[in-house]
Amino acid sequence: MAGSMHLSRLRRWFLASPPIEFAISNLKELLVGALRQGPIPQHVAFVMDGNRRFARSHGIETVEGHNLGFEALARILEVCYKSGVKVVTIYAFSIENFKRSKFEVDALMDMAKVKLSQMAQHGDLLDRYGAKVRVLGRLDLLKPDVLAAVNKAVDLTSRNGDRVLNICFPYTSRDEMTTAIRDTVEDYSTPLRPALFANGPARTPFSESHIAHNIRAQTLGSSRPQDTHSDSESTSAESSAQEDDAVLRNDHASRVYESGSSFSSSTTLHLGGQDGHHSKAAASGNTSDGDSPMYMSPETISRQILTDHMLTKGTPPLDMLVRTSGVERLSDFMLWQCHENTEIVFLDVLWPEFDLWHFLPVLLGWQRRISKSRQNPNAEGNFAGDTPETSEEDADNMVLRQTKVKAI
Amino acid sequence: MVSQTDREILRAEIRSRGDKLNAADRENLLKPYLPDPADLAPANSTSSTSPRRSRAGTSSSQRRQKPRRKPIRTFLKSQLYRLTYAITHIFFGIVVRLLQAYHAVVDRIFAIVYHHHRTPELIRKDVRGLKRLPEHLSVILTLHKEDDALAALMDEVAELAAWSACAGIPQLSVYEKSGKDSCFNQHGRSTWPNMKPQANSLASALGVLKSCIPALHQIISTKLASYFGTPSQQPSLQLFAPHHPIHGTAPNHKSETPSLTLLLLSSTDGRETIVDLTKTLAEMSQNGKLSPEDITPELVDAEISEITTQPLRASGRGVSPLKPEPDLLLVFGPFLKLDGYPPWQIRLTEMYCTGDRNHGMTGYGEAVEYQGFMRGLWHYAGAQMRFGR
Repeated sequence: MAGSMHLSRLRRWFLASPPIEFAISNLKELLVGALRQGPIPQHVAFVMDGNRRFARSHGIETVEGHNLGFEALARILEVCYKSGVKVVTIYAFSIENFKRSKFEVDALMDMAKVKLSQMAQHGDLLDRYGAKVRVLGRLDLLKPDVLAAVNKAVDLTSRNGDRVLNICFPYTSRDEMTTAIRDTVEDYSTPLRPALFANGPARTPFSESHIAHNIRAQTLGSSRPQDTHSDSESTSAESSAQEDDAVLRNDHASRVYESGSSFSSSTTLHLGGQDGHHSKAAASGNTSDGDSPMYMSPETISRQILTDHMLTKGTPPLDMLVRTSGVERLSDFMLWQCHENTEIVFLDVLWPEFDLWHFLPVLLGWQRRISKSRQNPNAEGNFAGDTPETSEEDADNMVLRQTKVKAI
Repeated sequence: MVSQTDREILRAEIRSRGDKLNAADRENLLKPYLPDPADLAPANSTSSTSPRRSRAGTSSSQRRQKPRRKPIRTFLKSQLYRLTYAITHIFFGIVVRLLQAYHAVVDRIFAIVYHHHRTPELIRKDVRGLKRLPEHLSVILTLHKEDDALAALMDEVAELAAWSACAGIPQLSVYEKSGKDSCFNQHGRSTWPNMKPQANSLASALGVLKSCIPALHQIISTKLASYFGTPSQQPSLQLFAPHHPIHGTAPNHKSETPSLTLLLLSSTDGRETIVDLTKTLAEMSQNGKLSPEDITPELVDAEISEITTQPLRASGRGVSPLKPEPDLLLVFGPFLKLDGYPPWQIRLTEMYCTGDRNHGMTGYGEAVEYQGFMRGLWHYAGAQMRFGR
């Protein structure tokens, strides 16, 4: 035991000595530069797992483990962005994590706040080098001071370059999916404004209301007494409005009635066009144009629309998901995003130890597979998704952008 | 890479919660690691950065104003990177092939040592020492391109069903992307890209599946008979798919034989189901029957789970309803890819890929083999497989 401790200390001293450090950083630089020459995943997600276990196994405080985890994150972000990854998504805090000890939650929140507010102090540097920072998740669960730091950091970096760092802060994927569903439903249940719907009548040259009116007139002509008996409400409404309108409203009311809504037909009739139920009023106001198209049809909801309502909207599809510490499940992270062509990698290394050396084989394997599937597109198990081709033109810029090790 | 001394400074700073250094100190600490602002200027839109450059990067950028320096050095560097890329990949390829050969040998040995011999007792013995078994096992299979792909796939499903029944796993779900066995079209995979744009044709693919269930049930029953012998000793089998009625015999709870519930899934049960749910919810909301605030994870969970449990309950047999979330997901493929597997259910599912150790090499680990199945179960239990039972 003592021997191994001496050995590790010797090793650390050796690695920290200036020439070795210089050599290692040069080697890393070279490898990252080499990685850039091949295809690179555009969107990588990390589950930073193992901070607590690392702390426990090394006999340090849990909070200290999280700090080391943050260092590892900085290391890996450097590798990712330098090698050409556009979007990195990290799982920083799950909604479930609120159940952990208050001390740890507070420490994590504190850390996030300190990091984010420190970031905000470096506005200049961030503008020049930084990535866009976005915080995904249930921000309403955060304390106000943390939320303020989050908003400030997001605002500051919102105009930055094409690199994006998504921090999933209080996040679970099920919550994300539910929110996406809810938002979609909300979108679809706001009535379309007439301006938006301007081309609607043009596509249906025959006015449904007019047809309905004609039919009504014919039936009225043939069997008037029965008809007035059957819906006395329409005759009561006739006094207040034109006949055309009243028939239509009656039409609408009966439709609502059929659909089993809580609105009785009579209230809709009386309130029609008034301020009582706003959406209903708007709906019946639109009814004069036609029947159904006052809302967007739910049938037009597609996978793409839901994807656009996810928190990761606007980012390229997830190419790779890496989880450290050997736990082989997703734990409610990126369920929607990773379910198609994402390569999921579980590594048996704790997050604070995670470095280029662990990540390199994964990236190389990915590159190998992608270039194989490009050569032989019909091979089974290949990626259907698009492969990064865009990096060619800005490759020169990026070479320039590498840190000048040789200039030292 | 950050040097050790700077790292120590940063760590001390973190411990003091960020009040040791001020912003300027930190920027000085960072400066050696940042790329030269002069290099960056042409890449950025110059108009926005010019005032800032004069403020932050005074010393370095004023000395060297030329926008493009050392073209030869840049060129050499890019050539060096290209060379390194080639060399790394050659070495990586060699290592991968060696590993692949090693694992192929190991797998053959496992396949010999661990063979089921169609004997339920042997399979039971193989799983006896395990700490835990999945209650609901899920498997991702791929339909291959050969002419008899469908028959092969059905045989794989039957084998898996038999192994699960022997091992005592009560629930098995099988996922195959292309809407399961397209009975009428043996080349399911090759025609698939043409079908993809129309979501409606997915539904027709699912319709084909319905016609396949009886055939599949027949095949599995035959397979079970070859494992268990006489029908009285066979486990009772229930086979169904979402939106389809149950096919099979009701489990007889008095008998000692285990029962197996087999669920067939396809890509339509994945994102498409969530889309369908959203459509229904949107319609309800438009009709004023539901307010968007009512949509909670619990509601969605209940609705999604309903799809897989409903047929069981509707038939009145579901004494122990299907567990909607699988405990273990086995991927028979070269690398771990979900390939459209239903996203909602796999929140806490452990995943295991039989070809995982080969860095995404194709053409390996795709075969559905007993040793792969066993490796997954052993892995789930946190145990190591050894040579010799």
